[in-house]
Amino acid sequence: MTRSTFPFRSLLGISAVLVLSISAVLAHASSPNEYDVKAAYLYNFGLFVQWPAAPEPDAAFTICVFGVDPFGKVLDRTLAGQSIGSQSTIPRRISNPQDALGCRILFVSSSEENNVKQFLSSLGKTAVLTVSDMPQFLDRGGMIQFMVVNNRVRFEVNLAAARRAGLTLSSQLVKLAVTVETSLPPEK
Amino acid sequence: MIHAAVEILLAEDNPSDVELTLRTLKRSNLLNTVHVARDGEEALDFLFCRGPHAGRDFAAPKVVLLDLKLPKVDGIEVLEAIRADERTRLLPVVILTSSREQADVTSSYKLGVNSYIQKPVDFEQFQETIRQLGLYWLVVNQPPSEG
Amino acid sequence: MLVSAAALVLASGAFTAYTWLTFRAAMVEQLSVQARIIAFNSASALLFNDPVSAQKTLGALGASPSIVDAAIYDNGGGVFARYWRGRKSLIKAFPQISKSQTEAHWYTHGELSLARRIEPQGKPLGVVLIRCELGELTTRLEGYAAITAAVLAACLGAAVLISAGVHRSVSVPVIRLAETARLVSRDKNYSLRAAATGSRDELDFLIQSFNGMLEEIQQRDASLQKAHDELERRVEERTGLLHAANKELEAFSYSVSHDLRAPLRHISGFSKILAEENRDQLNADGRHYLARIEEGARNMGRLVDDLLSMGRISRQEVVRRPADLNLLWQEAWERLQPEFEGRKIEWRIGALPAAECDPGLIKLVFTNLLSNAVKYTRRRECAVIEAGQITVDGEDVIFVRDNGAGFDQKYAHKLFGVFQRLHREEDFEGAGVGLATVQRIIHKHGGRIWAEGKVECGAAFFFTLVPRKPSRPKPANSVSS
Repeated sequence: MTRSTFPFRSLLGISAVLVLSISAVLAHASSPNEYDVKAAYLYNFGLFVQWPAAPEPDAAFTICVFGVDPFGKVLDRTLAGQSIGSQSTIPRRISNPQDALGCRILFVSSSEENNVKQFLSSLGKTAVLTVSDMPQFLDRGGMIQFMVVNNRVRFEVNLAAARRAGLTLSSQLVKLAVTVETSLPPEK
Repeated sequence: MIHAAVEILLAEDNPSDVELTLRTLKRSNLLNTVHVARDGEEALDFLFCRGPHAGRDFAAPKVVLLDLKLPKVDGIEVLEAIRADERTRLLPVVILTSSREQADVTSSYKLGVNSYIQKPVDFEQFQETIRQLGLYWLVVNQPPSEG
Repeated sequence: MLVSAAALVLASGAFTAYTWLTFRAAMVEQLSVQARIIAFNSASALLFNDPVSAQKTLGALGASPSIVDAAIYDNGGGVFARYWRGRKSLIKAFPQISKSQTEAHWYTHGELSLARRIEPQGKPLGVVLIRCELGELTTRLEGYAAITAAVLAACLGAAVLISAGVHRSVSVPVIRLAETARLVSRDKNYSLRAAATGSRDELDFLIQSFNGMLEEIQQRDASLQKAHDELERRVEERTGLLHAANKELEAFSYSVSHDLRAPLRHISGFSKILAEENRDQLNADGRHYLARIEEGARNMGRLVDDLLSMGRISRQEVVRRPADLNLLWQEAWERLQPEFEGRKIEWRIGALPAAECDPGLIKLVFTNLLSNAVKYTRRRECAVIEAGQITVDGEDVIFVRDNGAGFDQKYAHKLFGVFQRLHREEDFEGAGVGLATVQRIIHKHGGRIWAEGKVECGAAFFFTLVPRKPSRPKPANSVSS
């Protein structure tokens, strides 16, 4: 068994390394800070999505936080030295919705709950994986929504939203979702 | 004729040989004492005073000249008879023959012959042989004394 | 039979072992594939801390009845998810995999365990461990072993049957044939026959050919014996005739000896007497004729003597004993000395060998050859007579050579014939019997005699005393083609 035939490469098309520290975090799931786990998950999501080709090969894999940042230093620590594909991951905080176009993964803070629907629709078909822990996020056009079940951080996915953005979620990821939404929310 | 002692008995059937022998003996002055027997039987009759010679007093000759090939009784048989008789056991017998067969020579000597002479073809040699023979046995030789 | 059985057992053993190893390898491979699938499918569960999903993934192993239990460990060594069938899984310890490997397997108590790192892209997330019982392997192996044993038994049985068949139909007749051949060659009894098999196969053909050969040999033997007997009978007959002829010849010789010599003596005697006593009545011619008569009688006498002596020699047996040829030559030389008294002869006598021969006869050979040499060198002022030994083609050859009258080589073959003369009587007297006698003596010794000569340049006589050895020695027991 050699690494070159390891199925992950062909399936996910990623060559990035995984976060070492996550194991430690997961091992003590009861105790860790909720946002430590979510930060790790943000990165992990990147591993299970088929990304369209990067505009520039050397461009960074940007993981953005929109609104009030609940992670603080944790996100920076988590992403330091990591990469997805050949792109190194960097965190970025944005307050202007226009800046979201340069993001690969976008965490929408709960602070933005009021105008999230408009914000998401403004992204249109831009290939940005939208993640949030606000309730009803999927109903408003979001793709992944964190939730806590039995003290564990879990998530729900909306495959249709992802598909509209040209993103394909890996079945490995989908099977872990608490619920899987396959249709877009009705336009209001 | 009756009274001269016979000194030589010549047993020889062939008249030519007899004539030549006698002539030689005559030349050597030995003729008057020769008696000629023409076969073996006659030779033995003469010696042992039998048959025609029955009236003769036994007197052994000085020598017997014996041819081997004789009619009736051959030379070897005559020799045997001579050696078998006490009176003539030591009588000198000379075989005088044409044969040079080794068998004849051997059997003759076995029967105690005193000499074995082969008659030479050459007459001069023949004459000389006969002369020497006569001289030896009649003059030189000391006969065994009569027992 | 034993060899084939051993070979079969060995092959079966090898086959079973091979099967066992193959099965084990297949088993390991099967388990490895399953571990890889589990590892692949549980990576996300590990990453997103979802033991339930991992457990579901493990639950897929339920499709493999031989898998007893399985577990996924996280990096800290804790059990992340597990699966078991039947009794509760006993898996506790975090499996150790050496750093250089991603996978390891081991056997314990009839179970095969396989552990594999879950490390997408080389970064470890945890380990998957699967245990399966080898019952299937054992069962399959037992099945194979049973089949192999059955095949082996069948093969052995077949081999025994075939062997017995071969033994009965091939070995036994062949052994009988060999035994017959052995008896035939040992006892030379060609009336023996090998028992036929009764079948119409190659073996029967062989046996019949063998019997045919014996028949042929027997017939030839019989005809050979017949020919031999016939020959023997003829030889006996001829020998008898020969004996009779010899007797006759002896009688004839005796008769000649006696009867022929006597008239000669008479001719000689009376012609002598005539010359002596009637010399005056004869004229010169008459005396001359008388001399010729005497001479004729003398020659004839010598002729008769020579003939008789030759006849005697011919009948005489050769009695070989060691003799010094130098001595025999010396005796012959001394005996002939009166013949060359006063003559000037140069003697070149080399050393002669010792030889196994009849000394009396060889002395006669020397006497005759020496006598000839002396006679034919009579007219030489300085006669040279040689004798000695030379070696020709490895053979000891004795020669007597002179520088006398010699002879023409083209008449050489006539030299040794009785009454054959190459010179006129008035030149060299002689009856032509001497060399014939010499030749007979040499031939009776098994030797050869030949002569070389040239008119007025001398003659040489060569002879050997033993049969010529074959130039190329043949092995004594060589089989004739």
